[in-house]
Amino acid sequence: MLALSATALIWAIPFAWMLVASLRSESASTSEIASLIPSGAMGFGNFREAWSEGSFPLWYFNTFLMCAGILAVQCVTVSAAGYAFARLAFPGRAWLFYLFLLQLMLVPPILIVPNLTTIVSLGLYDRLPGVMAPYFASAFGTFLMRQTFRSIPRDYEDAAMLDGARLPQVIWHVLLPLARPGLAAFAIVSVSYHWNEFLWPLIALSSPANQVLTVGLASFTSGAESATEWGVIAAGTLLVAAPLILIFVVFQRRIVSSFVFTGIK
Amino acid sequence: MLRPWRAALAAAAGMLISAGAARAATTDIDLYFPVPVQGKLVIEIRQLIAEFNKGHPDIHVTAVYAGSYDDTNLKTTAAIKAGNPPAAVIMSANFVRSYEINHLAISLDPLIEKDGITPKSFMAEFWPALADNAVIDGHVYGVPFQNSTPLLYYSVDAFKSAGLDPSHPPVTWQDFVADARKLTVVKGGTVERYGFEMPGTYDYLGWIVSGLAMSNGGQYFNHDYGGEVYYDQPSTLGAVMLLDEMVNKLHVMPPGVIDANAAATAFFTGHAAMMVLSTGALTFVRSNMKSPFRVAFMPYNIQPAAPIGGGSLIIPKGNSPTRVAAAWTLIKWLVSPDIAGRWSRFTGYFAPRIAAYDLPEMKSYLAKYPNAKVALEQLKYAVPWFDTFETVAVRKAMENQVQAVLSGRATPQAAVVAAQASAEALMKPYVDQTALNIPQ
Repeated sequence: MLALSATALIWAIPFAWMLVASLRSESASTSEIASLIPSGAMGFGNFREAWSEGSFPLWYFNTFLMCAGILAVQCVTVSAAGYAFARLAFPGRAWLFYLFLLQLMLVPPILIVPNLTTIVSLGLYDRLPGVMAPYFASAFGTFLMRQTFRSIPRDYEDAAMLDGARLPQVIWHVLLPLARPGLAAFAIVSVSYHWNEFLWPLIALSSPANQVLTVGLASFTSGAESATEWGVIAAGTLLVAAPLILIFVVFQRRIVSSFVFTGIK
Repeated sequence: MLRPWRAALAAAAGMLISAGAARAATTDIDLYFPVPVQGKLVIEIRQLIAEFNKGHPDIHVTAVYAGSYDDTNLKTTAAIKAGNPPAAVIMSANFVRSYEINHLAISLDPLIEKDGITPKSFMAEFWPALADNAVIDGHVYGVPFQNSTPLLYYSVDAFKSAGLDPSHPPVTWQDFVADARKLTVVKGGTVERYGFEMPGTYDYLGWIVSGLAMSNGGQYFNHDYGGEVYYDQPSTLGAVMLLDEMVNKLHVMPPGVIDANAAATAFFTGHAAMMVLSTGALTFVRSNMKSPFRVAFMPYNIQPAAPIGGGSLIIPKGNSPTRVAAAWTLIKWLVSPDIAGRWSRFTGYFAPRIAAYDLPEMKSYLAKYPNAKVALEQLKYAVPWFDTFETVAVRKAMENQVQAVLSGRATPQAAVVAAQASAEALMKPYVDQTALNIPQ
């Protein structure tokens, strides 16, 4: 118990620091910035500065569209592919599945140039669908859904079939509702990954109007040849993370039970 | 009854056509830019581009944020390979050679000649030290836009408390080490103030080490040929030995690798008396340092030297002639004395265009902030920035080894030999194709 609390405390420190640093007034930002204990003048100055330097409403909107778009398509593709691998017998199924798993081993950055070439030739460069496109299929999601479908007893499908349901109806009315925890767990992983992704949106998008949160945040906080304003960075980072943190707090119980169900950690 | 509608429709159609025609006459181009110093530059550069667009109705430029210098390189290369090159890029000045070697950028000579001047007289408008990173194999590939040199920042209060005269900063390595020892304050076994700190992270570290090697009489790399580095030569070894001495023997510099933020924070809080940072950080330091500070040249052992840093404008390969022409108009505008001077005053970079310093705004700026003059005076001793085949990897070969020395895990002698070996392995394909490619 003690060890667990200690671990939780260690995990919480960066968030606590971020909160304290974001609330420190600008003048304190350089001298006591490393301290976790609030001191000196506190206020929302950093948030005001971050908000006014960036176009947060636009970035939220674009990021939301991007994550929602990716997830919507993924839900269809990973459920369909997961079902195929779990239930349908076809020649080469095992090999094809291994091929899918192999995709998990690829580091995304090596695909940047081929992916960019594809979206340029599709006319999707600098457009949100272009950023989403490479993620429409997910090896991880397919694997997860396959395992989820396999854990559901066949009896449910057989019973529905006996009652005259056709395959699409079986999938829609029987399997998907039962696989919901699996889909939910996948949704969390997918959204938090794409919400936080930096490199691919940086490469695939150009216009300020299409910018997403991560790239936007970096555009006014990063600097290589000089030091940085920690207070504003902390405030900006909190603004970027806030929606995800909020979702987690609200749906805490469900999220935890989804992960317990699927065994993801 | 239909008549008014028709008229309205016809009018609307006419407007659409003329709007279309107006748009066809405008060339849309994009400029990729990194943010190497401060975040607020994004706003400033967008304002600058808006101003350009207003003055050039036939061109519409979009300023595209492209991350750090390394990110910008990645984004640009990916865009060129995907057949969607930007019209112009502010590229780290030492990547220009790689773009030339890999045929990813166009030579600017034809554009310069079209304006009725020779490439040589064009480059004469810029500080001479900048030419080496911009002119590759005799052709202009980059136009210097924002440039820096490393500076020694020092705290006036720390100097006074150590009994040193703040108007006499260290000039030679001898003074430098002696002052650093006096400036270091140890209380109860812990160091309260280090005499000197510097960033040890990638890019910054290589830049500073090259500066030390050059102030030790060395070349560090072959300025004219991208396949040679002098990592294991005495001039570089001496530079690494100096750092080893200060960190591991005299303890006047903190061990391990710290980044620019940590160094600056230590300097602001009085935990470091001197630091080396870019001239590009001058505005940042000025607005954050509460006690008085001054800047000086990098200390030297054999001869004063300071490596150039910063960014140049390039035009990637694969753009249509109209886009190239528009990009060239933009580039010339960005490096015009007035704009170059404004950018310099805003960022702390020095203006690469010599004529920028003849403008009254620039003269009054230098009178108000004499610190900004030091970078300019240091230009006399400026040397080209590290650029080779596979610049980043070859640079990191040395940086990894120096980091090991700073962390006390390697001796300077072993470090420079290892760095030289891995750098040579990296450059081998290029060397085989070029210098060792003997006609048979």
